[in-house]
Amino acid sequence: MNFDPFPWLTAIILFPIVAGLFIPLIPDKDGKTVRWFALVVGLIDFAAIIYAFYTGYDLNEPGLQLVESYTWIPDLDLKWSLAADGLSMPLIILTGFITTLAIMAAWPVTFKPKLFYFLMLAMYGGQIAVFAVQDMLLFFLVWELELVPVYLILSIWGGKKRLYAATKFILYTAGGSLFILVAALTMAFYGDTVTFDMAAIANKDFGLGLQLLLYAGFLIAYGVKLPIFPLHTWLPDAHGEATAPAHMLLAGILLKMGGYALIRMNAGMLPDAHVKFAPVLVILGIVNIIYAALTSFAQRNLKRKIAYSSISHMGFVLIGMASFTNLGLSGAILQMISHGLIGASLFFMVGATYDRTHTLMLDEMGGVGKQMKKVFAMWTACSLASLALPGMSGFVAELMVFVGFATSDAYSATFRVIVVLLAAVGVILTPIYLLSMLREIFYGEENPELVKSQALVDAEPREVFIIGSLLVPIIAIGLYPKAATQIYEATEAQLTTMLRGHVPALVAVAEPATVTIEPLVAEPAIAPAIDVAPEPTAITVEADVVDESLLVKPSEPLEPSDPDNPQIEF
Amino acid sequence: MESFLYDSAWLIPVLPLLGSAVVGLGLISFNQSTNRLRQINAAVIMTLLGVTVFMAFGLLWSQIQGHPAYNRSFEWAAAGDFHLTMGYIIDPLTAVMLVIVTTVALLVMLYTDGYMAHDAGYVRFYAYLSIFSASMLGLVISPNLVQIYIFWELVGMCSYLLIGFWYDRQAAADACQKAFVTNRVGDFGLLLGILGLYWATGSFEFEVIGDRLELLVSSGALAGGMAALFAILVFLGPVAKSAQFPLHVWLPDAMEGPTPISALIHAATMVAAGVFLVARMYPVFEQIPAAMTLIAWTGAATAFLGASIAITQNDIKKGLAYSTISQLGYMIMAMGAGAYTAGLFHLMTHAYFKAMLFLCSGSVIHGMEAVVGHNPILAQDMRLMGGLRKYMPVTATTFLIGNLAICGIPPFAGFWSKDEILGLSFAANPALWLVGWLTAGITAFYMFRMYFLTFEGEFRGEDKTIRAQLLAAAGEVGGDDGHDDHHDHKPHESPWTMALPLAILAIPSTLIGFVGVPWNNRFEALVHAPGEVVEMAAEAFDRTEFLIMGGSSVGIGLIGLTLASLMYWQKVIDPSAIAAKLPALYQFSLNKWYFDDIYDRVFVKGTRRLARQMLEIDYRVVDGAVNLTGLVTVVTGQGLKYFENGRAQFYALIVFAAVLGFVVVSSIG
Repeated sequence: MNFDPFPWLTAIILFPIVAGLFIPLIPDKDGKTVRWFALVVGLIDFAAIIYAFYTGYDLNEPGLQLVESYTWIPDLDLKWSLAADGLSMPLIILTGFITTLAIMAAWPVTFKPKLFYFLMLAMYGGQIAVFAVQDMLLFFLVWELELVPVYLILSIWGGKKRLYAATKFILYTAGGSLFILVAALTMAFYGDTVTFDMAAIANKDFGLGLQLLLYAGFLIAYGVKLPIFPLHTWLPDAHGEATAPAHMLLAGILLKMGGYALIRMNAGMLPDAHVKFAPVLVILGIVNIIYAALTSFAQRNLKRKIAYSSISHMGFVLIGMASFTNLGLSGAILQMISHGLIGASLFFMVGATYDRTHTLMLDEMGGVGKQMKKVFAMWTACSLASLALPGMSGFVAELMVFVGFATSDAYSATFRVIVVLLAAVGVILTPIYLLSMLREIFYGEENPELVKSQALVDAEPREVFIIGSLLVPIIAIGLYPKAATQIYEATEAQLTTMLRGHVPALVAVAEPATVTIEPLVAEPAIAPAIDVAPEPTAITVEADVVDESLLVKPSEPLEPSDPDNPQIEF
Repeated sequence: MESFLYDSAWLIPVLPLLGSAVVGLGLISFNQSTNRLRQINAAVIMTLLGVTVFMAFGLLWSQIQGHPAYNRSFEWAAAGDFHLTMGYIIDPLTAVMLVIVTTVALLVMLYTDGYMAHDAGYVRFYAYLSIFSASMLGLVISPNLVQIYIFWELVGMCSYLLIGFWYDRQAAADACQKAFVTNRVGDFGLLLGILGLYWATGSFEFEVIGDRLELLVSSGALAGGMAALFAILVFLGPVAKSAQFPLHVWLPDAMEGPTPISALIHAATMVAAGVFLVARMYPVFEQIPAAMTLIAWTGAATAFLGASIAITQNDIKKGLAYSTISQLGYMIMAMGAGAYTAGLFHLMTHAYFKAMLFLCSGSVIHGMEAVVGHNPILAQDMRLMGGLRKYMPVTATTFLIGNLAICGIPPFAGFWSKDEILGLSFAANPALWLVGWLTAGITAFYMFRMYFLTFEGEFRGEDKTIRAQLLAAAGEVGGDDGHDDHHDHKPHESPWTMALPLAILAIPSTLIGFVGVPWNNRFEALVHAPGEVVEMAAEAFDRTEFLIMGGSSVGIGLIGLTLASLMYWQKVIDPSAIAAKLPALYQFSLNKWYFDDIYDRVFVKGTRRLARQMLEIDYRVVDGAVNLTGLVTVVTGQGLKYFENGRAQFYALIVFAAVLGFVVVSSIG
């Protein structure tokens, strides 16, 4: 095998797993050495991630980079093929960051520490593998494999109903994964060549009917993970029973796998179906935002409340990826990164609170702010981040989705108005449930029973450090979003250009032959927003730099304009 | 020198931010040692803010000298062909706002040292004050709508943190949440409005939006109704932030925060941000008559509403809060009536005299606490005060000055600004003037009611029966049966750190009106609506008109003043008899027009009910379906195992039955 250039991605994935295998050999009775070992492994791997991307990744290059491909099973054309582009690279960094912090958050775990830290390290590699693999079959394998440690962590270290929750989780996700397998096999065997390579599959020309079927299958599989209403009910149960580090991984990274796969496969490989399905995604996004915000408000259990808030925030990812604008898609990706940080911090705080109060029911808390001032301050900061306070990352992401969708030229004006209006209702609902939660935990008179029975010690430096580490990028992105968006901008722009090439109305505008004033007359309100309509030359110019696989296929003629139906109507 | 000042103007919000960041980090990492340093923290924060005061005055001076507006920006976010810039703009409006905000903030910080001297959260309070100053200064230098929205929310966050500063008080806990959520309702509108305007015009810059909108509406590309809708949505933001009807309900409750906050945030600066935004958006509003009318009438309604409630309030801070609502109504009314300069002029004069009035009320509360203890129900109720002028001469004098200013008695500051508003609204619509004029009379009445109840007559603080009544009304049992740590029987004047800011604020409250006298309006020459040509004020000045308008507003003010003195000082008329004669009106005012009750029933309870129903659905229907699938699988699995009994005849029977079934079904079909 050729190790030049050094296979960084393989190393990053395998290092924590291999290191984890040595854990049983560590002489350790009380679990104090193991956790240091795991932390050091996590830090080294995170440093390797940063180094690899710093030296080997070109931000201006939209396509796949750091490509590695080794034939694994030649008969099946199964390859160990890894690569990163703008879509996966920020999520890989996020994974390294959150998982390392989760190991630190797991400090108090004393029950079976060796197994626990082994599973954490296995998760570390597994999660990165999901974001890095470029082979459909391999993707399915790692997607499934990464479920195992989660299941074990849930079912061994969880709360009272942990088995029910873990079983529900595994049934849901494994059930969803079936669709991935079926769809992946169909895509691989379709056409003349049998290939599992994602780029090659994306180049295949599926008929619209098949695309729609495949899309629906993927949507169910990834909709479970994101989660999308009504496939979300495993999440409150899983979260309700998990421990803090498992929470951080679930909310911080596992949910992002759903969003990542939706963008990479549904949008990236099945663009025509994506155009048809986009309004459905938007509506599901709205439902996610409002429905989950309301249920979160009514929840009395702290963990479940935050779990529902995660569902609510993921709605913005759906709306953003269905907007067919640079801004919207960029906002969707940023929302995933941002929620990874914010969700992890909130769930960490839930765990830290539970360690002290030993209850999750809001009715049994009250007035604890007096004794736990730092916990109170950190909770407030994380909640404000979650309710999209400007100056923090959540705001930027939501604003980008809002502006992106509002200016999207792929939908009729009425549809956009209604969607933006409803999504903005979330802006009102989010502070209601988050602030009343803070009020019930920290404000007011101290709850005498709680104060008497529990020792409410204030936060220790480790906890302050973890929250501080999460808040630094949250605030940094909030103050200067370009710092985050430029990481993935090139890939995002290429994807958006490709997707826009599949929207009939936009193609009609872009095609020089059919450029008349007509669409503008039909939709006068668009006329002033001149800069949103692509220049007629845009597509041809892009064609020089764009990765061939993602381009408008030459075999597929640009669809003629349909004067009666210039937009995706819904 | 001048260009250096403009180039480094970004420091104005950054310096206080730095101060709060340093102190905040100290608090979270070295809590005890930071808290022990106490006044050193305050000194650092005040020094940093002091620098911004100098910069603000420097910029104002340079703007008065006619320096052109200065704009600087950098790219903040970009995606595809979308570029969003942030930066700062220094024009006359900004310069004036900078001076107002920095000076009031600095004086409030000085005052805080005395007021919060014994509070455990002294250092935290300074950190919050500093971050608020940073956000507010960032707001006034914002060159575009998105940046305004960012700082708009940030000042809202500071307000939330500061109202809930004493978080162990239940009332404060409820109030801070109410303030934030009510403001979010306004921000919802503001966000939608910003999006709408961007969609229509492709810009976030005020003047660009104005120009393009005009073009679009006149060419028919955008329906006039749409433009009006966007403008009104944007206006929802100021409605919430400036506590306008119907979103005013949060401001009186916000008085649960410490008094310096009520002075700085909830009287002088943040609540005026709404007026500021309307001023910034003036190029847009100006060309939409429907929006202007709505703005004017919202303001007028609010002015009257606030005044009518203030009459019956007994809590000194609540009374001032309703008076703030009323005065903000005047400003908004002025904006809607096209009196751009007059509205901002009143913003400036009001900032100084209302900040002073609130600080006076804080001084009164501070003095009362020595007698009745640290219970806001007792310390803030005017029924327990009276005769305080003897004990607190500085506070009483400054309060009187503030009173004369707010009532529009010449030559105090409020007269000039209020007179200008009334004069210009008469020109716009006499009905508006009538509402404003009546409100002026009510204002004089309730403000002097407060003054007489607090500072004149006999001191009632020792009266046990009133105390017991108040505590009983508030639902507190026990009362002050000796566990209070106070020993005084008389209130005392506040320390110099509190008295000095009062004395300093009395100067602008008295004199600042003279920059805007109608025959030589220097304020208008500096701050005027974009694109408006200022006529030479001296030529436009009409002495007769000024005397009639000014005379009538002073007249009704004096009537209110006299009535108040007859009722609460000379005691010739018994106020309770009037209340008894008009029980419906009295209750209506006392219960704040029942707004809180209605909102609680409709919105608060309604949302709770809806949320609970959603959760039920989630639990029973959505999750129920999932669990049902599980159950069905188990049941059918259990059932099917009886079919698997290994007897070939039974399998043959099933096959036969199935074939028969197919035949029957297909023959029917």
